[in-house]
Amino acid sequence: MSITDLTSMAEAQVGERQEINERLRKLREEVSDSCFQCARCTSGCEAHKLLELEPHRIVALLKRGLIDEMVNSDIIWTCMSCFKCKERCPQKVAPVNILFTLKNLAVASGKQIPGDFTAMLQSAMGIGLIQDVQSVPTRSGETRRREDLGLPPCSKPVDPAKFQQTIMTVAMEKV
Amino acid sequence: MRRIGVFVCHCGINIASKVDVEDVTDFSSRLEGVVVSKDYKYMCSDPGAKLIKDSISEYGLDGVVIASCSPRMHEHTFRGVAEDGGINPYNVEITNIREQCSWAHEDRGEATKKAKSLVRAAVAKALLLEPLEKSRTPVTPEALVIGGGIAGMQAALDIADDGFKVHLVEKEPTIGGRMAQLDKTFPTLDCSSCILTPKMMETKNHPNIDLMTYSRVISVEGSVGNYRVKVLKKARYVDVDKCTGCGDCTTACRIAGHVPDPFNMNMGKRAAAYIPFPQAIPLKATLDPDHCLMLRFGKCGDGPLCVKACEAGAIDFDQKDQEIEINVGTIVVATGYDVLDAGKLFEYGYTRSPDVITTLELERLISSSGPTKGEVVLPSSNEKPRSVTFILCAGSRDETQCTWCCRIGCMSALKHVYLLREKLPCETEINICYTDIRSFGKGYEEFYRKIRGVGVSFFRGRPSEVRVSRKNITIDVFDTTTNKLFEIGTEMVVLVPALVPRADSEEFSRILGLSRSGDGFLLEAHPKLRPMDTFVNGIFVAGCCQGPKDISDTVSQASGAASRAAGILTKDELENDPLIAWVDPEVCVGCGVCVEVCAYSARKINEVTGIAEVDDALCAGCGACIAACPSNACTHRNYTKQQLVRMIDEVV
Amino acid sequence: MTRYALYPGCLMPTEQYGYEVSLKSTLPLLGVELVELQGFSCCGEPLKSINQMLTLTLSARNLAICEKEELDILVPCPMCHLALSESKSILDGDAKMKERINSKLSGEGLEYRGISRIFHIIDLIHDVIGLDAVREKVEKPLSGLNFATHYGCHLIRPSSLGRPVDPENPQKMENILEALGAKADDYAEKLDCCGAPLLPVHPETSLTKAGQKLRSIQEQEFSGMALSCPWCHKMYDSRQKKAGETVGARLSVPVFYLTQLMGLAFGVDGEKLGLDLNLSPLEKVLDREKEVTS
Repeated sequence: MSITDLTSMAEAQVGERQEINERLRKLREEVSDSCFQCARCTSGCEAHKLLELEPHRIVALLKRGLIDEMVNSDIIWTCMSCFKCKERCPQKVAPVNILFTLKNLAVASGKQIPGDFTAMLQSAMGIGLIQDVQSVPTRSGETRRREDLGLPPCSKPVDPAKFQQTIMTVAMEKV
Repeated sequence: MRRIGVFVCHCGINIASKVDVEDVTDFSSRLEGVVVSKDYKYMCSDPGAKLIKDSISEYGLDGVVIASCSPRMHEHTFRGVAEDGGINPYNVEITNIREQCSWAHEDRGEATKKAKSLVRAAVAKALLLEPLEKSRTPVTPEALVIGGGIAGMQAALDIADDGFKVHLVEKEPTIGGRMAQLDKTFPTLDCSSCILTPKMMETKNHPNIDLMTYSRVISVEGSVGNYRVKVLKKARYVDVDKCTGCGDCTTACRIAGHVPDPFNMNMGKRAAAYIPFPQAIPLKATLDPDHCLMLRFGKCGDGPLCVKACEAGAIDFDQKDQEIEINVGTIVVATGYDVLDAGKLFEYGYTRSPDVITTLELERLISSSGPTKGEVVLPSSNEKPRSVTFILCAGSRDETQCTWCCRIGCMSALKHVYLLREKLPCETEINICYTDIRSFGKGYEEFYRKIRGVGVSFFRGRPSEVRVSRKNITIDVFDTTTNKLFEIGTEMVVLVPALVPRADSEEFSRILGLSRSGDGFLLEAHPKLRPMDTFVNGIFVAGCCQGPKDISDTVSQASGAASRAAGILTKDELENDPLIAWVDPEVCVGCGVCVEVCAYSARKINEVTGIAEVDDALCAGCGACIAACPSNACTHRNYTKQQLVRMIDEVV
Repeated sequence: MTRYALYPGCLMPTEQYGYEVSLKSTLPLLGVELVELQGFSCCGEPLKSINQMLTLTLSARNLAICEKEELDILVPCPMCHLALSESKSILDGDAKMKERINSKLSGEGLEYRGISRIFHIIDLIHDVIGLDAVREKVEKPLSGLNFATHYGCHLIRPSSLGRPVDPENPQKMENILEALGAKADDYAEKLDCCGAPLLPVHPETSLTKAGQKLRSIQEQEFSGMALSCPWCHKMYDSRQKKAGETVGARLSVPVFYLTQLMGLAFGVDGEKLGLDLNLSPLEKVLDREKEVTS
């Protein structure tokens, strides 16, 4: 079975998934081929010690086409996107980019989006920002709002409806 | 009346399967000027050659056309056959009915038609060919070897043993090169100096070797057989005839102990007056003009102390650089390598901690003539390290630094492990972080097995960084054999750095007209079949200047280069290819355009006659001057306009 | 005065007010006029794990808004800076993708053209304005103070894209602090990540990362931490107490925005720098400053 066969078994966003599959194929053929498993990425991975992410293993699994295993896993969501793996890799492989694409594929395949992402996405679609203006505490125990500090109102999309239309061309139906 | 013979080759089925060779042969026999036309399965073979030679004598031929494969394959052979058969070898015209005909077309009818057309054109040219003679240039029976390390010395000794004079130019004040910096060599653990110094002595004493140390090659002109080389002999500011090499000036020097010592990889200090190492050859002092107070400022306290100390009165501040011209027939380049500046790998901590060092620096610590007299101690504290960690491939096999493998890194690290086990207490922790262990040579794998048994922790993984804190050094490395991350606390880190071309290799390669490969090392003519030749006739390469390698490969290549060089020197004369540019003296007005366009410096205007001339040895037959000549005074011998136009007429 | 569009992102204008207040009180003193535009949205980087095309679209949209006014852009948040820079790089190099994105943006009357340059505060001050101009404005040098600089991952990597500072040995913040009269010693953990990108998924881990680095800095006796990213500040300052609890340490590290330190050195009133919005114990530094100047 090809990568495309495996993922096309889920329901919606066929076009989206094709695009991601294409990105994965490119990553697999153009990037993961060069990897000689020196594990420099994992040696320096900011997420490894606490969450056991092994970027070099992600690359090796991609090379073998074992995408499903990764898309269904929790491990791909542990990446801290610090880009250290990409920076230090001697073969110009970027595990971080492979991970972003795998996460995108998980979402497009209908997997549950973990954590707070859903709330952030909904807020972004609603008001344009991942969270709305907050009241914040001061060191002396008081509360301040944006206007208390003499700051002008926060910049947001001028026409929310049109803004939503823009991102609806991209965003997930499932969300 | 010309008598041409046409010989059509089948080349097995390579030509015959697509071209009807019998038809072509028959067609050729009826062309004007052709007295005989034959075909054969393999014209380049012995029977083929016999066929041609017999035909020449039987039919009284004075010219030959061969319809076969590309002239790049067998032009040389066929010219030889013709000459053997008794006709001028340049009355041979080859037409390519294989690569440019049978291999390029599907349709047999069309291929055959094209082959006939090609042969017709070739015959037309053959009728106009002129017999040519090779000119000869005498060979200067002397060689130049640039670089006095093991490669240069080996090459020089071999050529000198063959009976030729060799000028050996070395830019340092002493010969010996990198091997002089090593303590032991792998895998036999020979003492490097012990095997090197006899070669140095031999080089110094050989009657055929003219040793020029502290000298640089600054220009090279001419061509194979006759190179005119200018050498800059730098001033030592020491009269070498008087200097006894006693070393008193080096200890008396006012700034002794203050000048970073490059021989010790800047781990130790020396004086401005110095002898690089105790076994230096020549054993003479040199004053470092970048540091000597007298040379920099014109004064040294109340008087230079070296002068006071020197009983032989050899110090000479007025000495000047000298320019020397030498003429040689061939050149062997053996200029060696540099080590990657580990500071470029900032994340490995080389600039953050003095206890992060490179293998060459460790070599100097281990060496008894080194800055610590052979004691392996931490540069920061002078204490013995309780833990040493090696990181292999620092900057090697890295698309962002040096893409190539340094070839010797694995073996040097293993060798160092062995030496550290000898020098340091047995409880010293030794770690190696590797990506692969490349132990490819004779005895190397056995040596690796030995080292696996001395209690070293091998981690298969490349560390991302070396963490230098105020208290300690830690290295995180993921070991793929156990799939575990190890946090190594260590005291000394040894980086095995990439080997890179010499810093001045770009400038140097331009002086000699040599190409460099993508990695910056000097380019060999063919990596498999001509590894010591270059694309410049008469210049050969040996050792690491052509690419990183160990001592055994270096010595092999050096002897090979010497043999190649000597092969030219044994000839009294070299024959020059006559298929080059020719100037019609009646037409040439001496405008000088050809001189400007010639990339080989083969053209000049004769000062007396005012006519342009071609240097037969230098001209490469590229055709630039022929195209550029505004008066059409210049032609290419046996590729004249007249001949080529006739060929076109025939085809069209 | 040189004009720059200020692209605030999400976090600074909704929560990290100290950054916004302090940069608006200091940058104009260096000849920077900040133009506030309407219509911005999130840059999309926090949502990259969900959909990279969304990130590209959102970034392009914000770039287009600035380009409409033909202004270069000042981006105080390194995460936004990375998003905008990466999107610019993609769209400038791929005409088909640019066409595709512009067709999405046309609904709002926007078009990405690629004419605006993108700056962060550090490279704007260090490379464009210059340290001499900074030195001229210093009235109360931060003498005797030694700060642990924290650049944050997105400001320094990936270097192949082109970032405002060096990926392995960034020194621009150190140079600016030096111009302000302070010291900024090197330390082993300098390039360690604050953990913020994992907040949505693994908040405990994020706090552990922040706590570990703070603890190290505390042990090395720095006067405090200097940074220039609202996410990093959120972790090290706003969540310092929680980070300490997570790693079992009592943390007491003053954490400043670089612009706040700049303001202090320029003699700007503390209120105008939002100093009371920092939850970390700034008094350790501010009281000392008072001692020095009195």
